[in-house]
Amino acid sequence: MLLYNVRIALKSLRRNPVLTAVIIGGIALGICASTTFTTVRHMFARDPLPGKSDKLFYVRMDNWDPHTPYPAQQGNSAATIPPQISYRDAMALMRSNLPLRQSAAFGAMMTVYPDPRVARPSSEAVRLCFSDFFTMFDVPFAYGGPWDHRADAKGEQVVVLDDAMNQKLFGGANSVGKRVRIEDRVFTVVGVLKPWRPFIRLYDLNGNFVAEPEPVYVPFSLTPAMKIRTSGNSDGWKSAGNTFEDFLNSDVDWVQFWVELRSPADAAQYHRFVDGYVLEEKKHGRFERPLANRVTSLYDLMNEFGVITPQVTAMAAISVLFLAICALNLTGLLLGKFLARAPEVSVRRALGATRIDVFLQHITECELVGLAGGIIGMLLSIGAMRLIGKLITATSVIALDGEMILAALFLSLGAGLLAGLYPAWRICSVQPAVQLKI
Amino acid sequence: MLRMKNIRKIYRTELVETHALEDFSLNVDAGEFVAIMGPSGSGKTTFLNVAGLLDVFDGGVYELDDKDVSRLSDREMSHIRNQKIGFIFQSFNLIPDLDLFDNVDVPLRYRGLPAGERKTRIEKAAEMVGLSSRLHHLPSQMSGGQQQRVAIARVLAADPKLILADEPTGNLDSLMAREIMDLLDEINQRGTTIVMVTHSPECAARASREIHLFDGRVIDVDRPPALFGGALKSAK
Repeated sequence: MLLYNVRIALKSLRRNPVLTAVIIGGIALGICASTTFTTVRHMFARDPLPGKSDKLFYVRMDNWDPHTPYPAQQGNSAATIPPQISYRDAMALMRSNLPLRQSAAFGAMMTVYPDPRVARPSSEAVRLCFSDFFTMFDVPFAYGGPWDHRADAKGEQVVVLDDAMNQKLFGGANSVGKRVRIEDRVFTVVGVLKPWRPFIRLYDLNGNFVAEPEPVYVPFSLTPAMKIRTSGNSDGWKSAGNTFEDFLNSDVDWVQFWVELRSPADAAQYHRFVDGYVLEEKKHGRFERPLANRVTSLYDLMNEFGVITPQVTAMAAISVLFLAICALNLTGLLLGKFLARAPEVSVRRALGATRIDVFLQHITECELVGLAGGIIGMLLSIGAMRLIGKLITATSVIALDGEMILAALFLSLGAGLLAGLYPAWRICSVQPAVQLKI
Repeated sequence: MLRMKNIRKIYRTELVETHALEDFSLNVDAGEFVAIMGPSGSGKTTFLNVAGLLDVFDGGVYELDDKDVSRLSDREMSHIRNQKIGFIFQSFNLIPDLDLFDNVDVPLRYRGLPAGERKTRIEKAAEMVGLSSRLHHLPSQMSGGQQQRVAIARVLAADPKLILADEPTGNLDSLMAREIMDLLDEINQRGTTIVMVTHSPECAARASREIHLFDGRVIDVDRPPALFGGALKSAK
């Protein structure tokens, strides 16, 4: 009977193409808005690193002014400790052997000198990190791999390039072993990444987390030797001294620190370790504020740093409401269309159709309209998402995935049902004797 | 086949009650061909609506095919309409979007018959009404007489025990009307009970019995009254 109802519904929809187009257009508009905004929310709410989000932890310590707490971020009253730690504390934590993996990291701008025949020197975003960084964040390699721990320890001049930078410097060939000048030093390429575009820059939520990952990666341990300063935020409440060495030994916070821990028990143990470190430092006159260290999982950190802002959630909710309004507005059109068909329905009732048969026939028509509107709405939302993606960042990562396509189809069917429920109920309640001249 | 006893049907508005059927009793035996006649407002339409389970009534007992159908659910009434009753309307009442095949198919669909059996029934019915070559014509592509034959084919395919026909020749010329009446005769010869409302004495003459209604009552079951005055007297 379902196929029969579908066939009858298609005939009915073809009978008045303009009205059909208006109804489908209304639902398409609602689906476009709701799919776009729910997808944006969905993209930022999903697990950025499945299987690891609860194993990667971000470490923070409160080394701020004993008299005034670190200022709360707008819209994030919870962040009352500095979002990064100092270089000296990062280096101290790196000496621990508790984590499975660990990496201090920061971003900097450095000048890369390609072969002059290929391109001109350019200032590039560089991430300084430890070799564990690549494994911790599942960074995919096309050629070679991360540098080893020895390179970390010795501050070797090795570099990992991303796919685009390798394309620019070496035409996309396997460049492992080749050399490239960065600032005044020559680096050896040890790895080239596959195209890698996580939907958020999950390892640096403190900055512009929708930005693309850096194209160049070099060992963190080169920082003092090359006197590399961060291109991100530096937070300090007292003088950082005059020299670069003073800056490294100061309480200015500019380094992000990540650890990979096997279990919640390990996380608790590591938290105790950090507390122990701070208590020890307190004896030397540092960390004068109350103990407030945080060892936060990646997933919790996303919430804390406002990756999913309440505004995004509100927009998603409003867009679904908009779809409901679109559907309800179509109720009048469908009611008129269905009631005009009362004589035909009465004939069907006389020939044996039950009220439920009539109801299902008309709901099928509504659902077909909903599906058609849904498909068109989804196509429109792909365009809308590209536009929104472009507004947020240079390369869009907002796209429909299987889950959102299913959600959009579900919303389409829901909109069709909402629009058609009352008209279908009205038409199935028509008394055949009133309509039939028998 | 059809037994109505003391049926009462009242149409109510805020201001007035109209007694469309009052103390209405009628028996129609299986295989009969009965013509129902009467002036406008005599209750013919209401009778057919009640007889066809298209409308409920306020009192009395109605038995169809030895089953009391006085108080049934919508599903049960729909089932009986589908299985036991066939309708032939004055204005044909074909579904304009559907071709002959699909129009005849409608009651069979609601009966849930398999596709093969439906196809056989439809083709056989179309052949009986002489429209085998027009299976995929839309109603708008057919004459009035042909459309009424499609409506008859729809009844034939469903093979009901009782046919309720309302002025089946009312919208047709005399030649077409004769063809339709011939078809109804033929169907009745095969044992199907027919109750036909008509204003036409010629059509009524083809029936085995005439029943005359006036003011919602049966006034004469054997022969037409000469005058309504006489009818009124006999009713009283």
